[in-house]
Amino acid sequence: MSNAKERKHAKKMRNQPTNVTLSSGFVADRGVKHHIGGGKPSQAEKQEPHSGTGRLWQAKMTSHSLSEPDGNELCSSKVMFKKKGGWKAGPEGTSQEIPKYITASTFAQARAAEISAMLKAVTQKSSNSLVFQTLPRHMRRRAMSHNVRRLPRRLQEMAQKEAEKAVHQKKEHSKSKCHKARRCHINRLLEFNRRQKKNRWLETHIWHAKRFHMVKKWGYCLGDRPTVKSHRACYRAMTSRCLLQDLSYYCCLELKGKEEEILKALSQMCSVDTGLTFAAVHCLSGKRQGSLLLYRANKYPRQVLGPATFIWKSEMTPGDLATCRQLWIWLHPTLKQDILEEIKTVCQCVETIRLAVDVPNPLLTPSQEKNQTELSKERNGKKRKRRDDGEMAGPIKKVAGDGTRDPLQPRSWVSPTTGILVSDLTMEMNRFRLIGPLSHAILTQALKVAAVHTEEEGTGETPHRWWMEACKNPDSLSLHRRQEAIFELLGGVTSPAEIPAGTVLGLTIGDPRINMPQKRTKALSSPENCQDNEKVRQLLLEGVPVECTHSFIWDQDICKSVTENKISDQDLNRMRSELLVPGSQLVLGPRESKIPILLIQQPGKVTGEDRLGWGSGWDVLSPKGWGMAFWIPFIYRGARVGGLKEAAVHSQYKRSPAIPGDYPDSPAGILFAEEQARNLLEKYKRRPPAKRPNYVKLGTLAPFCCPWEHLARDWESRICAQDESWVSWSPDGQESTSLGRDVVRGAAEPKRASQAPGVPEEMMHMECQAHSGPRRARDPVLREVCIAASGTQLCVLRSRKLLKQLSAWCRPSSEDSRASQRARGGCQEKLTREACLSILAHFPRALVWVSLALLRKGSPEPHTMVCVPAREDVLQLRQDRHYCGPQEPKHSDPFKSKNLKRQQRKHEGRATATELAAGEPVAELEAPTRGLWSGPLPGVTAHCSRPLLGFVTQGDFSMAVGCGEALGFVSLTGLLHMLACQPAAQRGLVLLRPPASPQYRFARIAIEV
Amino acid sequence: MAENREPRGTPVEAELDPVEYTLRKRLPHRLPRRPNDIYVNMKTDFKAQLARCQKLLDGGARNQNGCGEIYIHGLGLAINRAINIALQLQAGSFGSLQVAANTSTVELVDELEPETDAREPMTRIRNNSAIHIRVFRVTPK
Repeated sequence: MSNAKERKHAKKMRNQPTNVTLSSGFVADRGVKHHIGGGKPSQAEKQEPHSGTGRLWQAKMTSHSLSEPDGNELCSSKVMFKKKGGWKAGPEGTSQEIPKYITASTFAQARAAEISAMLKAVTQKSSNSLVFQTLPRHMRRRAMSHNVRRLPRRLQEMAQKEAEKAVHQKKEHSKSKCHKARRCHINRLLEFNRRQKKNRWLETHIWHAKRFHMVKKWGYCLGDRPTVKSHRACYRAMTSRCLLQDLSYYCCLELKGKEEEILKALSQMCSVDTGLTFAAVHCLSGKRQGSLLLYRANKYPRQVLGPATFIWKSEMTPGDLATCRQLWIWLHPTLKQDILEEIKTVCQCVETIRLAVDVPNPLLTPSQEKNQTELSKERNGKKRKRRDDGEMAGPIKKVAGDGTRDPLQPRSWVSPTTGILVSDLTMEMNRFRLIGPLSHAILTQALKVAAVHTEEEGTGETPHRWWMEACKNPDSLSLHRRQEAIFELLGGVTSPAEIPAGTVLGLTIGDPRINMPQKRTKALSSPENCQDNEKVRQLLLEGVPVECTHSFIWDQDICKSVTENKISDQDLNRMRSELLVPGSQLVLGPRESKIPILLIQQPGKVTGEDRLGWGSGWDVLSPKGWGMAFWIPFIYRGARVGGLKEAAVHSQYKRSPAIPGDYPDSPAGILFAEEQARNLLEKYKRRPPAKRPNYVKLGTLAPFCCPWEHLARDWESRICAQDESWVSWSPDGQESTSLGRDVVRGAAEPKRASQAPGVPEEMMHMECQAHSGPRRARDPVLREVCIAASGTQLCVLRSRKLLKQLSAWCRPSSEDSRASQRARGGCQEKLTREACLSILAHFPRALVWVSLALLRKGSPEPHTMVCVPAREDVLQLRQDRHYCGPQEPKHSDPFKSKNLKRQQRKHEGRATATELAAGEPVAELEAPTRGLWSGPLPGVTAHCSRPLLGFVTQGDFSMAVGCGEALGFVSLTGLLHMLACQPAAQRGLVLLRPPASPQYRFARIAIEV
Repeated sequence: MAENREPRGTPVEAELDPVEYTLRKRLPHRLPRRPNDIYVNMKTDFKAQLARCQKLLDGGARNQNGCGEIYIHGLGLAINRAINIALQLQAGSFGSLQVAANTSTVELVDELEPETDAREPMTRIRNNSAIHIRVFRVTPK
């Protein structure tokens, strides 16, 4: 205590002027008083004697006045001093020591010196903190460091000085150009082009960047989520209004060639088992958009590449086989490289075309600076044209960019044998997605069908020659009228879900910027539009007729001309300002741009029983360069914009797998999982060990990744180990739980062995393999299975037939007999051992995509474990409907002692432990992270008290359903085993446990096909 | 809003081979809703739906911008419930509410999605009955 006091005193004294010494403490103070006599009253007249500060002052003064010769000067204001009673004068009183007189001049001199010293001390700062930081907390105000006037007046001067200093420091590294020069159009474009060298911007980037948290992903800069708090608002927009998304980052591949050649080539990459393929009749005609899963050629059911949607261009003359067909395949950017390579292989496209239509002029490249080189590669046609015109002024606005491809790489490939031309149309089009019931109203209000070009409007000067040509042709004119009529009908349909799934509608529209409202409005579907006439009925039943799917957007040259001839915003605004009546409608007549677009209906939720059609909407494809011209009108009609997070919410509520995270067997999915695990691990390590969950104690082996391979292998070996038990297995699912326990116990044994801390991990791994080896060989059938499995890798069950069967088995049979009967149909098999074995024979290590709905509380998160409930859990649930679920007992931490030892060893030298399993993101080279399982995983299924069935990949509280919902994968083997063991009424009950919680929660499993 | 839809009617026995087609039921055609339209479904709790109607009627009486009459729509299985709600409202009003019912037939669309490439998707129309009950306020004599 006294020590601290001393230090405090020393600090106080540090900056005192040398001629002023501060006596410390009251005792010294008094002593001084005793010694001198005349000193005290002499100060009294100079200063106002406050009782609090007075003592200090007094001390200072007295000590100083020791040297002064005015000891016995008379205080003239003795009476006043006494009356005020500035300080308690002590027991002896003050009256007798007061000097008789003082000399004014000497006194004033001495005081002046003191005052100057004091002033010096005050102006000098004692520490290197800012002025406002020296203020006590209660006196601080917000933005004090920014605004000097918020400080107390006495400190303002100093703060001013400090602020100036800071400003000077900043000035030193300012940009070379002035603000105006930096804001200049060309410079900004250069800067923008430089900034998107690595990650391309979408056309709506700047709009997004002002309102969204941006992330750099997949070679693009994408809006992740709005900066405003809008999770629920976006959900409402999806459900009852309209949510807008920019999906221009999706990649488009174009295949041109003869129909049968394309179909023959692509049929290797897909399977009829998983649903419709490229050859589906209604898709092939161009009437509908199709979606399918692509595999490596002839590798089904393994080596999936990813999902894709596709549209065929409708034929003008159907039935003509010789004509060249056009096919667009739309892909997620993460899947593009793999699929493109595979398509090139199956189509035997080896010859690259250096930009088939527009070969870059090699002369241009060296003459330009780097930005422009890139630019010229990106936009060859325009660039060259401009160059010919002699417009060398500067880089024009870069409209397109492609983050998934090197700009110098070729983008078209042709096959000499099959004649198929594959080209990469990424970023050649904008794709905007409107989700929600109001998307019809927004579309019909924002887009106006293009005016027909009439003869008398003149021919020569218009840049839209293609439209003139089209208008001359009576066929295409009537087609345009029909498209217009259908588009108008859309306004009377209240939900996109009522239109047949994947309907395609081609249109040519006028400039959407022309008829923008003055300010943001909310488009509403008006009742007078909703006439229930025959035409609407026809549309709802049949969809759009094939002819009306035609759009000029399929024609590259027209698209290019449309992009080039876009009237810039600046010009348009100028024209608007030159209108005679301000605010009136701008009429451009034939100069108005005509834009070919394609509208594609996106089906919402089609599987399952509830919320059918939720999240349906329309995709708008527009030529590049027109992104913002469509974007703003949509927003001005009341669309709310969502980012990647909203897209994830949409896909989760739709219960559809997210790309690429929910394709764990595809290369993109594996990469995604690795990256996710890395990020989560990093995040985990940032927290101190005491402030983060100890996953070892919680019994969570893999909190950041889902070890699918392990899971499938474990279940397989488990079933192999218990194969004899399957013989005694009865089809009604009435067999003993002791069997189940045996399974658990049996599988737990190798786990325990592997947990032994002394044994090196590699050896244990071998041991596990050796253990399972002989067991496999017992049953000849199973042995075959195992042999087949040992060479194969993980796969996800995607055969629709099997999924339907599983889906029927997952339902509790007694609950809704009618529904289950309906779903089962006539030929549905019963859940028997033979049926299971036959499935398992084909898919020994398979995963199944399931959706899980929690029965009561709980909101699952990604990596939540799906577990098999024990018999007693189900019993307890039946007795007590409010039973939450069992708890996982605390696990012991076998790494704790190891860690301690390692720390001790560290002092001696480097730890030579190289216990690391390949492909284990959790394991580390150096000291293992506390709270995480290090080394290879032991048997994942039997690690906890409830056998592990699978993992959740997407999960959250679902606002659409009002309870927690999750999507994930379970092991097929495990699922069949579980279903067989459960009584029919409780079939499909599982337990969910988040990685950081010991609490299990009940959920119901469902497979939606 | 998504939940506020009529339940689908009784299933039509599929005479088509389920191997070749999957039955997907589309939602009934929706008309724009006025604020005093209430679509009754079987999923929401009965009491909640009753309370909602009551609130609409009461709120309509007190503040002028409300509605003096509401329309309760029920389709298929929910017809019973719609009638039930209307009668409960009437019974609880001490004679100040009257009901007037209309029935209609609603066309529902079943989509048949092909399972094989060679087949076209089909749609079938099936009819279901619906009820529209107007519950309105009368001045008691």
